[in-house]
Amino acid sequence: MNGPIIETKGLSYFYSLDGQREIRALDNLSLQIYEGEYVCLIGPNGSGKSTLARHLNALLLPAAGEVYVDGLSTALEENRWEIRRRVGLVFQNPDNQIVATTVEEDVAFGLENLGVEPSQILKRVEEALELVEMKPLARHAPHLLSGGQKQRLAIAGILAMRPRCLLLDEPTAMLDPRGRREVLATVRMLNRQEKVTVVHITHFMEETLEADRIIVMDQGRIAYSGTPEEVFSGNLDLEALGLEMPPIPALALALRQAGLPLPLGILHVEQLVECLC
Amino acid sequence: MLIETKDLSFTYMPGTPFQVEALQHVNISIGQGEFIGIIGETGSGKSTLVQHFNGLLKPTSGQILVEGKDIWAGETDLRALRSRISMLFQFPEHQLFEETVFKDVSFGPRNLGLNGNELVERVRFGLESMGLDYNSYKDRSPFQLSGGEKRRVAMAGILAMRPQVIVLDEPTAGMDPVGRKQLLECVQRLHREEKLTVILVTHNMEEVSRLAGRLFVFCRGRLVLQGSPAEVFKAAAPLRETGLEIPALSELMLRLQERGKDVRTGLFSVEEVAAEIQRLFREGRL
Repeated sequence: MNGPIIETKGLSYFYSLDGQREIRALDNLSLQIYEGEYVCLIGPNGSGKSTLARHLNALLLPAAGEVYVDGLSTALEENRWEIRRRVGLVFQNPDNQIVATTVEEDVAFGLENLGVEPSQILKRVEEALELVEMKPLARHAPHLLSGGQKQRLAIAGILAMRPRCLLLDEPTAMLDPRGRREVLATVRMLNRQEKVTVVHITHFMEETLEADRIIVMDQGRIAYSGTPEEVFSGNLDLEALGLEMPPIPALALALRQAGLPLPLGILHVEQLVECLC
Repeated sequence: MLIETKDLSFTYMPGTPFQVEALQHVNISIGQGEFIGIIGETGSGKSTLVQHFNGLLKPTSGQILVEGKDIWAGETDLRALRSRISMLFQFPEHQLFEETVFKDVSFGPRNLGLNGNELVERVRFGLESMGLDYNSYKDRSPFQLSGGEKRRVAMAGILAMRPQVIVLDEPTAGMDPVGRKQLLECVQRLHREEKLTVILVTHNMEEVSRLAGRLFVFCRGRLVLQGSPAEVFKAAAPLRETGLEIPALSELMLRLQERGKDVRTGLFSVEEVAAEIQRLFREGRL
């Protein structure tokens, strides 16, 4: 693994409440995300996940501490456009992030703003749509797409900018199971094949099972950082952190506690079936 | 039967190029006190269907009967029907608008003409049913609550109408695990203790399999499967075709069965499944 692509050092941020009181959204938070990693960020509402994500591409700037992307500090204004190109953010609601009247124009939007040459734009739009398997829909109107297709379109718009890191803030919250499967498969493929670093915020614990690392946030701090096997081993009191065990790890734990000879680290149905048969 | 549909079809924008047949020949019936789950992909017709239950939509053809009476036959007071069969739309927190929680929750019952003590009792019932303490919440601004609290306040407003049936359209979308759990526990308690009929529209198979007594599965405007969660999730293949997914624990039990293990399917909680697997283990049949 290479050096960190994203690094925060002593990052703090405050939101003001009715102009007087302040809420500490991020509290002296230091973390490193390495190139090629698939990191999931989990934690209850209000734990600072989205605030953190918005710092990683300079949409928010630290009240204290620093954020670096590829060694570029978000504190310097001249770095910010480059940082936002390298770290693309996909939001929860696909309807709020689509701007154009056809799929291909929507993907081209960011590139046009960057002043990329037209012949290059065509090439990159095609590549991006190919990656998210939306090429046949290039001339379609975005508002007639399904939720999963819209979210993949949003991802394509970012991919066209050739980012090194994809930040996804609850990208599946508004989708049905099929849409969720499509988006997750796309993100995983981009991580594994295209080596795009992924930071994925989610409330669905099942979505974190294939991450390289899970960062658990609580009250603006990192409560825990570890592999899915570690986070769902039963050693961490997830309930106290406002989270829950996914069903299969919860079942494996209950069975082991009841004395069945099961190995540690069971996350998936297939693993448990193999162990029981 | 409390609610019945007879050959119900609904077409959006008929006669235009945008015509969509959202529901086709749907026949279902829902009894008093049931907990029903309605599942299906986006665009399968779930939300369209439930909007027929209290007359928000009028069937293009077919009938919708409430307690045996066709609600479009002319004799039904639709306003009264809507306070009996209440609907919580998606993201109901967007509908909060008053300065205080009390005012917001009391809006509906006030419009019914209630006031004084009776109104206070309704608001108290609504809030406390949703696990929110009346005294500590009533004077707060709904806009300064957390997302989960806002949603529960919106739901309290509906419960304050003392409906007989609540229809919940994706009530937990976008919530964190603890918020989801609290909200669903409140719904479960209302169903058990207040004998409220609950109709839950959802994408979340884990949730619905634990809560509902009966499920209706929709695919492209048609009812394709119905039965208890055990019956529905036994039919794994057709379910996948509808774009839905089987809850992980059901999937596990089906796989064990395929491998020749004599497990009971139709178990939906970690505790039940753990007990079943332990039984096999003890009997030396694993």
